[in-house]
Amino acid sequence: MSREPADAAPAPETPPSPPLVEPRHRLHPLSPLLHGAKSLVVIVAALSWQTLGQVGFGRFVGLVVVLTLVAIGLSLVSWLNTGYHVVGRELRIYEGLVWRRTRAIPLERLQAVDVIRPFLARLTGLAELRLEVVGGGKTEAPLAYLTTAEANALRERLLHLAGQLHLTPTAVAAPTGRQLHVVRNQDLLISQLLTPQTFSLPIGVAVVLHQFLAEGASSFIAVASTITATAGIMFQPIRRVFDDWNFRLTRDGSGLRLRRGLVETRTQNVPLNRLQAVTVTWPLLWRLAGWVRLRMDVAGYAGPDQGGSEQVDRLLPVGDPAVARRIVAQVLPGVDLAALPLTPPPARVGWLRPLTRTVLGAGLSEQVFAARHGLLTRHLVVVPYARIQSVRVVQGPLQRLLGVATVYADAAGGSGAAALHRDLTEAWRLAAELADRARAARS
Amino acid sequence: MSDSTSGDLAPPTDPLAAWPNTVRWQRVSDDLIWVELIRLSTVFAVLLGGLGIGWLWTGNRLFGAGIGLAVLLWLWEAWVTVRGVRAWGYAEREKDLLVRHGLLIRRLTIVPYDRMQFVDVTAGPLERAFNLATVQLHTAAAATDAKVPGLPAAEAARLRDRLTALGEERPEGL
Repeated sequence: MSREPADAAPAPETPPSPPLVEPRHRLHPLSPLLHGAKSLVVIVAALSWQTLGQVGFGRFVGLVVVLTLVAIGLSLVSWLNTGYHVVGRELRIYEGLVWRRTRAIPLERLQAVDVIRPFLARLTGLAELRLEVVGGGKTEAPLAYLTTAEANALRERLLHLAGQLHLTPTAVAAPTGRQLHVVRNQDLLISQLLTPQTFSLPIGVAVVLHQFLAEGASSFIAVASTITATAGIMFQPIRRVFDDWNFRLTRDGSGLRLRRGLVETRTQNVPLNRLQAVTVTWPLLWRLAGWVRLRMDVAGYAGPDQGGSEQVDRLLPVGDPAVARRIVAQVLPGVDLAALPLTPPPARVGWLRPLTRTVLGAGLSEQVFAARHGLLTRHLVVVPYARIQSVRVVQGPLQRLLGVATVYADAAGGSGAAALHRDLTEAWRLAAELADRARAARS
Repeated sequence: MSDSTSGDLAPPTDPLAAWPNTVRWQRVSDDLIWVELIRLSTVFAVLLGGLGIGWLWTGNRLFGAGIGLAVLLWLWEAWVTVRGVRAWGYAEREKDLLVRHGLLIRRLTIVPYDRMQFVDVTAGPLERAFNLATVQLHTAAAATDAKVPGLPAAEAARLRDRLTALGEERPEGL
């Protein structure tokens, strides 16, 4: 009864003498529980409805509980063996009981830091910290979970350390936390309704309904498959609405901070000099509203083609050209989207690209190389000279007949920009100029 | 043909001979032709062997025609190989490396030395038999296509060391 005060009173609280190396930190004690809760879904899915029918409801629940407890137990063991600390220029992460693994992440390689708060973690005030490092196909080192305050503090610290190590001087640090843009949720909803998926939906439903009525047999399977197919079609637009809800873009020190998400909130911090390229996209249907979308290439984010999530690279989910212009001017200082000196390829390219010849264009501005292509969905890729990794000139047999060639400026973490079908002489000059400017931009 | 000739650049005679006045292209070793021909011939030897056995077994004239076609194709491929190897070229300029290759689709890659992430030197058994090696330059962009095959081992080592030394001057790659 009186043990508690007795214990608490003489608690010596001797702080360990400050060691040379910062002590290892643990993840938050609730982490195993959250991991266990996450595996609950997997377990139920794995057991499937069939098992439920076979073993009865009571046993099914029992099975799920036992398996979940096992999962929590395993998470607990892994939690006990996981730790992290910052040593000098790197973040070290220790994990594993049987297969021990220590990862040292050099902070000068840090491309971006994301703080993600899934729904369950939000309820408990926890967050996951993800570091994006160049070269890793997938996200390196997710620290799940920390308290939100811890996650934010660690993010600030890592970014600060990484910022000190950058050799290239960044632009004058803007006042912290200056809001650049907030996307109206209404616009986001409408923009996702203006997608091919939504437009094809009524047609699909009509076809299925017609079949029902014609055959007069509306079986359960038919209805279920219709619903499943609908969900499949609408998955992407709905997911985008969920992911980009409350999108706000903030200028933060020498970087950008993006915050978005309805159920799972995600905060991304990208240092400006980690931005490899910016793509402006005009989807066909959005031209009704005059909207564009901005995408950023960051070397650490694995693109959709590498099996990564395609949701991480949004710079502006939807906005009018004026907004896009303002944001681009902020993230790539000195670049004016409306005043890019794009020139079309020679008229004889019409033989190769009769419809898109007038869309194609490429040009060199003071700081960036820009190229435009695409008939229905139009893309404009902007690559700063300092981020060009290599320059390629490619000429196919048909292009040789016409005396044209394509010039590529390759950037990390994306496809880079391609000036399609330039006149050969111009292509050589463009390539030489790009290589020169790429070099000059670094020195 | 070109309607926008610029004054500051002499129009190149050969599309791949970029900046002919300033760039000294180096060819890869002619031994690479043998390496490629042996590789090609192995495939065709298997094919011809199969067709020959078929002919002896069945006596069907179609197999004879197949052999004739295969031989023609072999000769054609051999010709393309010889030309293809001669089309490979690289040039070390002061600040960047130039690599060109391809006959049907011609490609030229320019990589500034300070964008280099790492250098790969590989040599398969066949290449080793001819004392050749392949040097490949990697940057942070996956699309970079800077591979030089068929370098004599000593030249490959020299190129590797030079590239590494040049790359080290500027540590930050991205």
